[in-house]
Amino acid sequence: MNHLNPRALRWKIAALAAAACCAVAAVIGFLVHDATRERGLRVGTDRTLTRLIAAEREYDRTGKAPADIDVRSRAELPKPLARDLATFKATGTGTATGTGTGTETGTEAGTGTETGPPDTGAYATWYDADPPNWFWMWGAVAVADDRFLVVRDDMSTEVRSLQLLDRSIVKSVLAALLFVVPLAALATEPINRRLRHGARTARRIADGDLDARIGTAGRARDEITEMASAVDDMAAALQRKLENERRFTADVAHELRTPLMGLVTAAGLLPEDDEAAGLVRDRLRALNALVEDLLEISRLDAGAERARLDPVPLGELVADVVRRTGTDTRVGGVDGGGLVETDPRRVERIVVNLVTNAHRHGAAPVEVTVTGARITVRDHGPGFPPDLLERGPQRFRTGASERGRGHGLGLTVAQGQSEVLGARLTFANAPDGGAVATLDLAPRPA
Amino acid sequence: MTSKAQVGSVSEARGPAPGPGPAPVGVLVVEDDATIRRAVQLALERYGYRVDVAADGLGGLEAFRAGAHDLLILDVMLPELDGIGLCHRIREESPVPVLMMSARGDALDVVAGLEAGADDYVVKPVDTAVMVARIRALLRRATFGPDGPAAGKTGRDRAPDHLLTFGDLTVDTLGMEVRRAGATVSLTPTELRLLLEFAAAPGSVLDRRRLLRDVWDYGWEGDTRVVDLCVLRLRKKIGSGRIETVRGFGYKLVRG
Repeated sequence: MNHLNPRALRWKIAALAAAACCAVAAVIGFLVHDATRERGLRVGTDRTLTRLIAAEREYDRTGKAPADIDVRSRAELPKPLARDLATFKATGTGTATGTGTGTETGTEAGTGTETGPPDTGAYATWYDADPPNWFWMWGAVAVADDRFLVVRDDMSTEVRSLQLLDRSIVKSVLAALLFVVPLAALATEPINRRLRHGARTARRIADGDLDARIGTAGRARDEITEMASAVDDMAAALQRKLENERRFTADVAHELRTPLMGLVTAAGLLPEDDEAAGLVRDRLRALNALVEDLLEISRLDAGAERARLDPVPLGELVADVVRRTGTDTRVGGVDGGGLVETDPRRVERIVVNLVTNAHRHGAAPVEVTVTGARITVRDHGPGFPPDLLERGPQRFRTGASERGRGHGLGLTVAQGQSEVLGARLTFANAPDGGAVATLDLAPRPA
Repeated sequence: MTSKAQVGSVSEARGPAPGPGPAPVGVLVVEDDATIRRAVQLALERYGYRVDVAADGLGGLEAFRAGAHDLLILDVMLPELDGIGLCHRIREESPVPVLMMSARGDALDVVAGLEAGADDYVVKPVDTAVMVARIRALLRRATFGPDGPAAGKTGRDRAPDHLLTFGDLTVDTLGMEVRRAGATVSLTPTELRLLLEFAAAPGSVLDRRRLLRDVWDYGWEGDTRVVDLCVLRLRKKIGSGRIETVRGFGYKLVRG
């Protein structure tokens, strides 16, 4: 949705790509760095040895060292060089190289040693990378007892080029990231689109469009397709279940209403002034109301109900509805009041049920007030039982028996209908006694 | 709430009655449940109607063709030919008012019935008083005319401009005749009443609630789907562009 959301999948994948990119660059960079350093050292060692051999020959011939070569005693030698030379004395001949870190690597040196004079022929080199006098390659060879030719070669060119190499590796990694991150972010777009489509469809199904399907169009048989077809299967299963339930509800309605219709019509034929007929008619009305409430609840449960919204003058509607209940109910605040976008038939059901409930379980006076998009039904009885305040209306719970008769479905129906309307129905007790039910039809703040 | 006098006035308003004297209004009830059939028959006869009954769809069609009925009450679920199919067949032959009776009461039944041309519907179980009120409203629509009870109600300016023209559509408010491009359009009383309601205020938006009140005599308890589906049927007959939907408000008649 939001392209800047840092937790969006696209940025996660881009970060992953960047991390992978960095890791590869680090490994390759390290290998290249190491190889280059190694080669630099070898070149330096070779150079030093060449100079040392040349100096040794010169010394052998003339008895003097060239001007740029020191002749030192053992004590004047840097310690690692002295140690290496001492090792050669013990083992015979060889070449050793050492680094300032102290790790020693005995390597068969190349050409230098082979062509070297066989009498003494022990060359020691030492790479001094320690401060303060770093990046020198030292070379030493014994020419006489306690006389050593010492060569010192500058290695800063190699070090410098190594630094430049490192820098260019970092630069190329950054350049690659500049390219890879947007590319990765863009490459996730098809995936994101499919996921968004899936989410939208799932939401449509949740909102009641049971025919909505994600579909598995496209060639990719990946996890998203798999999830899409799983969601589609789920939607189909839900739809089947819901349709079965709806059909069942409709069938039950038919089976119950048909005999009831016969009864109601036949009872209407009984004499008006007969007491027994009156009893029959009274119970028939109760039975009828119960059946209608049950059918309504099962329709609400099946999620089969959809609000048909119309602009409705709420005050006028409520006044009319309350008048038609034929109860002694005071109505306030109904004049004026604007239009409210709602389903008038459902509002009527809710208001009738609330008012009937107030008369049945509460006590007069019952007051209905309309303020804006809010309808309040208030009585002056003992108030709602704590159970109802806590858990909402429960089917077939009418509270204490002294609260009067009723099958306890009225408030459940009212609650269900208010949910279909997207309205809020709340139950409370007034501080000075009496139950207060409030239906708020204003659209929920997003 | 009802009296014989009112019933009498309905039958008098029916117009030319066959035979001598004011004949009772003929109602045909097609219902498969024997108890309901008999009870409705008895109840309606108490209100002064002449009631014929049929137990299935084909029997209903036969009975309808055999005798002159002013109003039909059809159950939706009928053996042989269901109420919706029956309504279709009857509409091909006659604009007689049809009241559908559904025990299922879910949207599909209601919509299918109204689409088939029924003028109104009730959900079972229906109180006899309510049913009689619906019957009266339907008959009032069926019998209004220049001298009918409803003609003056809307305060329509009749003479001399009794011929209203909207594009290729001509509405004769005196002769109760509608012509489209010269050819007579056959409308049911409800459709005609609805069209006249629109014709009385061309160009202005009429909301569903108001139409339900003025044409069907309903209060808030009415179902606005009845209006939507009747408008749909009317459009099919007089041209789909003639009545425009104004989203969220209602409908209006296009003048030109």
